[in-house]
Amino acid sequence: MNISSYIYGTSFYHKLDVRPKLIFTALFSLMSFIVSSYAGIAIVFVLPIVLMLFAVGLGETWRCYSRIIPLFLIMLLFTPLQERDGTPILFAFGTVLATSEGLENVLRIISRLGGVSGILMLLLLTERNENIIKGFRFFHFPYNAALAASMILRFIPYLGYLFGEIRDSMSLRLEEGKRGYPVLPSITALIIAAVKMVPDTASALEERGFGRVKVQPVHMKKPKGYFIQCAVCIIIPLSLFFVR
Amino acid sequence: MAENRTALRISLIVIMTAIVAVFTYGFGILRLPSPVGGYISLCDAAVTFVAYAFGPFTGFIAGGLGAAFADLIGGFPQWAVISFIVHGVEALLMGLVIRKDSTSLMLKIIAALIAVVIVSGGYLVLTTLFGLTVFQEALLEVPGNIAQSGVGAVIGLVLYSAVKKGFRNLDDIRW
Amino acid sequence: MHCFPAHMISADISFSYNDEKEIFSSFSLSVACGEHILLIAPPESGKTTLARIVTGSVPKYRSGKLEGAVSVSGVDLLSFDIPERMKLVGRVSQNTDEMLLFSSVEEEIAFPLGNLGLGREEIEKRIETSLSLFGMEHYRKVSTSELSGGEKRRLMLSILFAVDPDIYILDEAFDELSPFWREKLARIIKKIGRTVIVLGSHMLAEYDGVFSRILTIGNGKAMPYVHHPVTFLALTLKTGHSTLSVENLLIERSHRSAGDLKAFELSVESFSLRAGECVTLLGDNGSGKSSFSRVLAGLLKEKSGSIMLDGIPLSQKERRKKVALLMQNPFEELFLPTVIDELESTGATQDAIEDTLRLFALKRDAYVQELSYGKAKMLQAAIFYLLDRSFAIFDEMDSALTSSEFTKAAKAFLDKGTALLVITHDKEVASSLPGRKLMIKGGEMHEYK
Repeated sequence: MNISSYIYGTSFYHKLDVRPKLIFTALFSLMSFIVSSYAGIAIVFVLPIVLMLFAVGLGETWRCYSRIIPLFLIMLLFTPLQERDGTPILFAFGTVLATSEGLENVLRIISRLGGVSGILMLLLLTERNENIIKGFRFFHFPYNAALAASMILRFIPYLGYLFGEIRDSMSLRLEEGKRGYPVLPSITALIIAAVKMVPDTASALEERGFGRVKVQPVHMKKPKGYFIQCAVCIIIPLSLFFVR
Repeated sequence: MAENRTALRISLIVIMTAIVAVFTYGFGILRLPSPVGGYISLCDAAVTFVAYAFGPFTGFIAGGLGAAFADLIGGFPQWAVISFIVHGVEALLMGLVIRKDSTSLMLKIIAALIAVVIVSGGYLVLTTLFGLTVFQEALLEVPGNIAQSGVGAVIGLVLYSAVKKGFRNLDDIRW
Repeated sequence: MHCFPAHMISADISFSYNDEKEIFSSFSLSVACGEHILLIAPPESGKTTLARIVTGSVPKYRSGKLEGAVSVSGVDLLSFDIPERMKLVGRVSQNTDEMLLFSSVEEEIAFPLGNLGLGREEIEKRIETSLSLFGMEHYRKVSTSELSGGEKRRLMLSILFAVDPDIYILDEAFDELSPFWREKLARIIKKIGRTVIVLGSHMLAEYDGVFSRILTIGNGKAMPYVHHPVTFLALTLKTGHSTLSVENLLIERSHRSAGDLKAFELSVESFSLRAGECVTLLGDNGSGKSSFSRVLAGLLKEKSGSIMLDGIPLSQKERRKKVALLMQNPFEELFLPTVIDELESTGATQDAIEDTLRLFALKRDAYVQELSYGKAKMLQAAIFYLLDRSFAIFDEMDSALTSSEFTKAAKAFLDKGTALLVITHDKEVASSLPGRKLMIKGGEMHEYK
């Protein structure tokens, strides 16, 4: 089970330092909630796609977006597009099928979902998990919370792997001719194994010296052009304000 | 000397979060995509187990975080915040209702109902409120969520007694 | 030598886990500064418990009744706060999985060094030296879940050497290491000016000349170890009909997290295992022994090639019903509440179960999750013994067991006419076993003489 979405690459978005990248992700997500003009909607939707195409290529971009495309279709199908008092733009058999306000409303929600999803997926695709946590630490995210996050990223795949092992060893014991594995005993076994790890993990933490009163501050080198990166990452999302 | 329990608390939260995430994510193997986005999972079974075994507080953090992490790594990062709130609150309320020593069937039924109401209602209200979907689409998800959380809660309660049988020191581990 | 002569560690303890028989009764042990001692005792005798008491994790995290204390230079170890205690004593645990906390090798080793309060350059320097000491320098970005058993062990050793406490406790740390690394570790210990306590379940050739004293645990007390030359039970082979054979097999696994770094590629031109036969397989850590056995048992998919039973190709699923695999870490195969539940899950008759309990010296009602590592291995063997597969693979079964227990298990299988593939790092075990010897080297399998 591989939970890291990180894909190695050398694109400019990969090279962007994690701190400005986090700022950009947060501001862009926020701004996507306030735009309502057609231009704004289009930018919110298209910008993450363009960035993703440059960063990880067409195949990976499609893989990411294909997961949310069904949602877009359902929204388009099930939303009444004919808002009352709206300007009619589509007629059929004498009735109004869509008004510009109704269409705009749906498009706004679609672009917001696409934009927020895209920009978050882009972050996970171009930055190693441990770097993201380090970036958070730089912005004074509490030490213990960051520690827990790093550990969660180990234990999720480990428990997934353990479940695979349990299931496999179940299947090694099956009599000839039987298929599958008993689900409930397997997940019970997984939980027992996990609960047993709690005291072991706690003592592992302590034996590695966890509990220092004064935690060392994170140290991250500032790459060349760090301040320009930061400025760009603040200005671009904020400039959406002009086309809101 | 007051015993320092921080290491144990962190370990408990971390491992239970991972359990919830693995159950939600479907063990990386057992994933059933739902026709309307997202996926059917045993998330609520794990959330119920954690709330029952370790109480409301551990339940809130591990339940919420676990669901959020599963969204983040499963390719649905946009739902992470909403999942955190929904499953966190679900575990919190269930943990407040059911106590480990209680064998009352009534309380267990109430807890299962809480799970159903919070999960189906929570996603409906929050996804619309955050403006990440339209009401009509969110409504389509309700029946699936009801079934999933109801079945999940029952499995979770069964799991607790099964785990207790195999690991008698379960109650020694607490926040 | 950096510590004062008075800087000695001494333990005077009595201990029992809740409502169980006493593990240590007035156990007393003192080790002088810079002394290297070896403690050899069978599984369940309390070695791991001792290591845990010294590092403070028992009885804090596994409740029990502890009387007395472990002290360094006369000061109770538990009175030091945790980061201070780490500078005094550190251990490598028997089950490496329970000590892994993070997802990459680098994070794992940087964490304790950060907690020591070291500067960045010092941390960087220590990471580099200690990783390369155990040949792990290319693994910095590799995910810990992609390491083999022996590589995890070397990572744990690297961490201990990077922290460099006054007292090193190595709980079965030689296990899972290949002969090369065992010799290297023994050489490193010989040179180091720290107090080293090695815990083991049986004598290894590599221990020769490393230790000033060898002790054992008897009746809950420490006492001098008397070495009886190992008398391996005479193992006799039967001849059977069915043969498991492999042709042109190619197995490939890579470290995905590190991108370019290739873990290994193993090609096996031909291999066969006849019922009643015993074959021993040797090879370096991470060379693919475990992956090979997983492919044989149908848990892993081969890249190409075929695996046949009496000349008829077996699918991956079919292999699972023919080949028993006793994995390196027994806890990955045990998942029911008690010993008897595990044995009954095999569908064997009550009589057969009773016999097996006696044969493998298991307690009927013991809780599986409370078994020691060694006992868990015996239970694992008992389960597959009852399942009666025609082929069995012992993946480093001999580690954590005494020689007599190991041969007892091997004999039980061979007497039934089961074909045995034994994977081991122990030359003595290998030479004591009858039958052919194979070796994996440079990605290929050869006859070993």
